[in-house]
Amino acid sequence: MKSLLKIPETLLVAALLVTTALTVHAQDPRIQMAHLDHLAAKASDTVDVNIDERLIQLAAKVFNDKDEDEAQIKKLVAGLKGIYVKSFEFENENEYSTADLDSIRTQLTQASWSRLVNVTSKKEGNVEVYVSMTGADINGLTVISAEPKELTVVNIVGPIDLQKLAKLEGTLGIPDLGVGPAKPKTKNEQ
Amino acid sequence: MNEEYLWDKSGEPDPEIQQLEQILGTLGYQPKTFEAPTNLRPTRRYRYLSLAAIAATLVFALLAGFVWRSLHRKEADLPTTAASNPKAIPLTTTPEVVTPVEKQTVVSSKPITGRRRSQFVAVNARRRTNTTRTPSPEALLAKEQLTTALRLASEKINLAHRKTLGPAQLNQIRNQHKLG
Repeated sequence: MKSLLKIPETLLVAALLVTTALTVHAQDPRIQMAHLDHLAAKASDTVDVNIDERLIQLAAKVFNDKDEDEAQIKKLVAGLKGIYVKSFEFENENEYSTADLDSIRTQLTQASWSRLVNVTSKKEGNVEVYVSMTGADINGLTVISAEPKELTVVNIVGPIDLQKLAKLEGTLGIPDLGVGPAKPKTKNEQ
Repeated sequence: MNEEYLWDKSGEPDPEIQQLEQILGTLGYQPKTFEAPTNLRPTRRYRYLSLAAIAATLVFALLAGFVWRSLHRKEADLPTTAASNPKAIPLTTTPEVVTPVEKQTVVSSKPITGRRRSQFVAVNARRRTNTTRTPSPEALLAKEQLTTALRLASEKINLAHRKTLGPAQLNQIRNQHKLG
């Protein structure tokens, strides 16, 4: 009799565990981008970056603390759990389909994700910025940039400071276009 | 009293001194051969203890040596492990992004490592400890990947920012920047 009573209890516990696991998985800000791999065959240039937490920590050790830019990056990536990028540059237009983008967007319809920016332009393409929140903190970021000849998806897992990330432009070999928060002037500039 | 007797027993002895000599003479040192007691047996316990101590020291030294060697081997093998397992860092970068270091790590499929390496190559232990201080190719590759990813992310976020501002606002900001 006791063993019979135990069966529903076991099932209940198992169901609870499965539900918890699914909830945790649903809140995971990592998105799956493997289905975009077929675009690599069509692309003239491909960038595929998969860095997990271990590699981030390994890379952080290499950054020089004495270098201001590198120290800034080191501080930014501290606490991140993964950075995943897929970027394809094509010779011709319309090499990727909307289905490719929809499969990414579907993953971003979960409760934790919210769209921060959506810029649509027929000529220049679309840029969408999504953030995943836990309470008041950002724990994930996804950027989809779909231009006529270029498709880029960036997924950052972990707490990320958007302002600091945006500030990196100009420090990583990219020209600063003067948009965004102004940088403090150096002694020579003053 | 004849003092010569007291000095070297050459003179006439004093009867009083002779009497004292007879009384105290029994208490003087009498040389005789050492005879060990027959009921006394040497115990073996202390011998075992010393042997156990020596054995323990040897075992401890061996263990310490093994741990030290395995730790050093791990440090030395770290860069080559990454090369033998390219799946750990999946990367399909553009041809111009790939540096010669990356090419080396991906191309070398089965490097000679650890004990196998020591069979063929003379290794200077001091030199090996120095090389561990330099960043491993895996770390350098991870750094490059990280920088590429952040560069792209930053570029796209700023692109979105610029587009949300629009051309009019952007020009206004630029003009302000020029005037200021």
